[in-house]
Amino acid sequence: FFRCVQRLKNDGFHVDELFHKCLFEEDEKEKVLRAIRMIQPNYQLPPPPNPETCKSALLRDFYSREKTVSYPKLDFSAQELRERFQQQLEMELNNTITIESVEATKPLTPQAIKARKLLATLRSQWHNSILQALQKSKHSMSKVNMSGYNLYPYLCLLPDEEYVGIMLQVLNTLSPQGESLAILAKELGSKIYNRYVTQRKLRSRQLEKVQEVYEDYIHLLAKDSQPDEYLPREYWEKLVAEAGFGPSLNLKDCSWPYMLLLRLGMHLLELLVQAVKVPRNILNTRLESKLIPVLYHVYSFRNSWQVGLIKPHPIFSQIVSDAAETMLTFNSFVIPMLCPPVPWTSPHFGAFVLNDTKLMRYVDGAIQHQLLLEQCPQVNLHPVLDALNQLGNCAWKINQPVLDIIISIFNDKGNEKLDIPPPISEAPRPPVAPSNSSAWNKSQKHELLLCKKKTAEMHSLRMDALYKLSIANYVRDKVFWFPHNMDFRGRTYPCPPYFNHLGNDVTRAILLFAEGRPLGPKGLDWLKIHLINLTGLKKKNALQERLEYANEIMEEILDSADHPLTGRKWWMKTDEPWQALACCMEIAKASRSPDPAAYVSHFPVHQDGSCNGLQHYAALGRDLIGAISVNLMPCDVPQDVYSAVAQQVEEFRKKDAQQGVKIAQVLQGFISRKVVKQTVMTVVYGVTRYGGRLQMEKRLKEIDDFPEEYLWEASHYLVKQVFNGIKEMFSATRDIQNWLTESAKLIAQSGRTVEWVTPLGLPVVQPYYRARSTVVSICCAGLSCPSIPSSAMKPDTVKQKNAFPPNFIHSLDSTHMMLTALHCLRRGLTFVSVHDCYWTHALTVDVMNQICRQQFVALHSEKILQDLSEFMLKKYCSSSSPGRETKALWQKKLMEQLSNVPKTGEFNLRKVMESTYFFS
Amino acid sequence: GPGVLTRTLLNAGVRVVALESHSAFLPNLQSLENSLDGQLKVIYGDFFRLDPLITGPVKPPAVCSEKLFESMGVVAVPWRADVPVKIFAILPQKKERNTLWRLLFALYECSSIYKYGRVELNFFISEKEYEVLTAKPGEVRAYQALTVLWQVGCEIQLLHMEPWSSFITNLKNGGLAVPKSTWLPNDHLCLVRLTPRQSLFTGGMKPTNSATFIFMVKQCLAKPRSRLIDRLNSWSLYNGRKLLRELEIPENAQTVNLYPEDYRRLFEALQNSSVFTESWFHDEVLESIRNIN
Repeated sequence: FFRCVQRLKNDGFHVDELFHKCLFEEDEKEKVLRAIRMIQPNYQLPPPPNPETCKSALLRDFYSREKTVSYPKLDFSAQELRERFQQQLEMELNNTITIESVEATKPLTPQAIKARKLLATLRSQWHNSILQALQKSKHSMSKVNMSGYNLYPYLCLLPDEEYVGIMLQVLNTLSPQGESLAILAKELGSKIYNRYVTQRKLRSRQLEKVQEVYEDYIHLLAKDSQPDEYLPREYWEKLVAEAGFGPSLNLKDCSWPYMLLLRLGMHLLELLVQAVKVPRNILNTRLESKLIPVLYHVYSFRNSWQVGLIKPHPIFSQIVSDAAETMLTFNSFVIPMLCPPVPWTSPHFGAFVLNDTKLMRYVDGAIQHQLLLEQCPQVNLHPVLDALNQLGNCAWKINQPVLDIIISIFNDKGNEKLDIPPPISEAPRPPVAPSNSSAWNKSQKHELLLCKKKTAEMHSLRMDALYKLSIANYVRDKVFWFPHNMDFRGRTYPCPPYFNHLGNDVTRAILLFAEGRPLGPKGLDWLKIHLINLTGLKKKNALQERLEYANEIMEEILDSADHPLTGRKWWMKTDEPWQALACCMEIAKASRSPDPAAYVSHFPVHQDGSCNGLQHYAALGRDLIGAISVNLMPCDVPQDVYSAVAQQVEEFRKKDAQQGVKIAQVLQGFISRKVVKQTVMTVVYGVTRYGGRLQMEKRLKEIDDFPEEYLWEASHYLVKQVFNGIKEMFSATRDIQNWLTESAKLIAQSGRTVEWVTPLGLPVVQPYYRARSTVVSICCAGLSCPSIPSSAMKPDTVKQKNAFPPNFIHSLDSTHMMLTALHCLRRGLTFVSVHDCYWTHALTVDVMNQICRQQFVALHSEKILQDLSEFMLKKYCSSSSPGRETKALWQKKLMEQLSNVPKTGEFNLRKVMESTYFFS
Repeated sequence: GPGVLTRTLLNAGVRVVALESHSAFLPNLQSLENSLDGQLKVIYGDFFRLDPLITGPVKPPAVCSEKLFESMGVVAVPWRADVPVKIFAILPQKKERNTLWRLLFALYECSSIYKYGRVELNFFISEKEYEVLTAKPGEVRAYQALTVLWQVGCEIQLLHMEPWSSFITNLKNGGLAVPKSTWLPNDHLCLVRLTPRQSLFTGGMKPTNSATFIFMVKQCLAKPRSRLIDRLNSWSLYNGRKLLRELEIPENAQTVNLYPEDYRRLFEALQNSSVFTESWFHDEVLESIRNIN
């Protein structure tokens, strides 16, 4: 011990650092302390470091200690939250959960009973043969001293039975069309990994500690407990610091590389293919009995490359379809959480209790984001973590009447118009034709292909809806939470993949805030305006006119609410029918209550940014005309940027037509909002002339009487004019876009990836590299997969350059959202977002709108482009290494480019504060 | 282009039907047609958009083979009869593979142009595709499913090779718009004659079951280094070893080492086993039809 401590000192470390910087498992911390006290008997544990406070100018008030506020509590007692935590913990300890699907209510046919029996017998046989195969393969692996990659240790982490269970799950969920080898292998590998991490957390007593801390953390949220002046993260950190001893909450890094997941998965898949067999006469007893494999490898050919697939044998698919099993097994992280999520306190810790969740989502194998997050001062991440915690702490419940209507249609015949996918039994039947495929004529083949394609599409849509509805049905009487994480630009997403508020109209319609708030004096009006917004009608009208329209059609609204399926069905004809129906029902209930202002509503009301990307550009460039067209300026009625661009393009066209430009004359009468809309919308996201022309061509093709021979020329001309039009209206915007693109190009060409930091302090790096793939060959199959990014990889210049402007804008819109979220929290509002669509209670829409505008102004009052320029100059131009002359030249060019920040226009940003239609 | 091919054929004194895909060139060709007294017939159409799979009327320049042969005045002859018509074409570089595959399916199905008999193709193709068509077993990069299927289906003759350098180009750097080839030589444009074999539909091979043959060969050669016995086993064939013994194919043979004729024999032998009819194979073959187009 003495030598160790001496060595630490010699190398410039202090003993205290052991406790500040190391991660401990089990009772390691206590042991280390004991060891040190053998040498320094009076040694005391260092006090926990003082919590740091974020210094971001945008959040000075928010984090200010002088004006503490009390944050809102959840509507639960500590005891209730404790019970919910136990339920969640149990679910996660099992790793998977099996729930009844919504189809379970259908009566069972004798055929299904028979098939289920058969499946049960087969499964128990398979269980045994898989177990045998696994043990045999482990045995042979343990003996040979394999050179290179040895998977043996990874096959000994769990009891054999668990591997077998996980492998059998794959068999149950394989679609009849088969699945790509790589995807299946990754899924299998990850399942083993998840199971292993759970085991490790149990063994290292990490779970125990989390449990302890969570027990105390509950007091921050429960309505019957004291503390309320802390943010969830702050309180959690305080509790952890106070707990002192015991294991660390983070495990020492133990994540498995992508390649390992693949190899392990491939190995297990191969065992499955070899071990799982079925008698081929099982459905047709006339055949002689012979065992055939249930899974087989097949290749599918797409243009120049081929994809390896694993497909189930048709006999197996037949039995599964006959059995029509109604239990669904999911990973536990697919179900929304039954207790408030564990707050994010670091890039490694937060969200679920046991399931590993990444703070930042990224493509398989990419590690640069994680590295960047680890390297940046943790205090810089506080705003982002706090915003994610705020979004995740929103409690939800199910809108049961709407769910019941949806399930009734789903279990009947579905309804494509209402976006309820019909069952496969409704799929078009292929034409009856000679059994020999070659004897068919062209149109028969074509029809068959269409049928097959349609059936495959219907199957996946149906399964997707089945999952969503079944999960919703499972939590129908519960309150639940969606823990959040984000992508590399800071855009936030709920973690449970199928059922969440980012979903389609159907899923959004069945979600309600668990917390209710009285409507207040203006709440009912907001509900009505929200309803009209959902219909897609009256887009060009003022809010007051939308409200008046709602009052005019009150009879239709009430009829929809009272007789959704038997009445006049007004709601079905709207843009978002299911949300509209839910809203009709809420309006009916509120307006019929004795005092609508006191009516307690759980209904989320949305406010949408109008062309949010262009809003950020217009604000960055202070473009006056642009700002007006995307509603940054107060106007009586909402402005429509697409119409404005169409008008501008029409003016250019007229001028050209007069000057005798042929194509301008041909286009007379064809330029409309619809033609330009897609291109204008995607300009923000970096659409090129090439892509823009293709979009134009599509739109023109849709116009029946447009002469076909002019398609190319016309689309070419139009895209040019749309770009010119945008340039005219958003002059600074185009300059900024070009500056961003050009800067990214030079950076990428110098061999580096584009990095920046959002105004909230989140570090961002663009993960685009020149593709290089390596082939993993296991058994008889070879898999091509992306190679692990390393410093040796060259950035993909084209992607780095084209993606920078949109990614930068997305990092700004996510910043705006997070700022709004944090300030809403401070004002006690319920707030969630779907990117640029913000949700809150009807009572608090006005406050949210005010905060949303304030934060937009605050964000764009920062010197965003200057800061970016300075950051990049420091990052890419400061290392003036005495390189070769050419390199110095490059450096100079890059420096000039980065310093040359585009000029801005004279739009007065403060005007946004009074703009009604900025978010509406 | 400037019509080198058409001019040469006309000078040789044969009757020529020219397909022109661009309407701008039609007027000149038509005036030539009128001055040649029946030796030249011009049709507005694109040979590389022959028999599209879309239902509904065929829009020119896409052409339908029935219409085409009707206006050429060529009638169908039995398979074993002589070549009814010869087709000359320069394959667009980008469409080479695609065209070769589509014609191959037509050949084995006796559909499209092959409904009229053993139509002879004289194609200018790039050297790398020629290398593929004439590759020998064991040549891992070149020996592909396309090789086996064309060699079983046709007699392949090289008529002429012309270095790429003979061609003028309009690219700024003076290069050719010829795709780069890493593994196979690609320095020439090759004139290749593909004559369908009289014996193609003998033994077990019929236009009605040939899709299975194509599918089988593609699956085998998806991984040229894989062992044939592994492939057979994965198709739930129970007695793969015995079958290979009977065919005198070594048990550890890799798929890349089998001769085209071996694949044909393998197919015929499998016809007699139950693999193709009752296993998943049948469904998969149907599925693969989608990929033709």
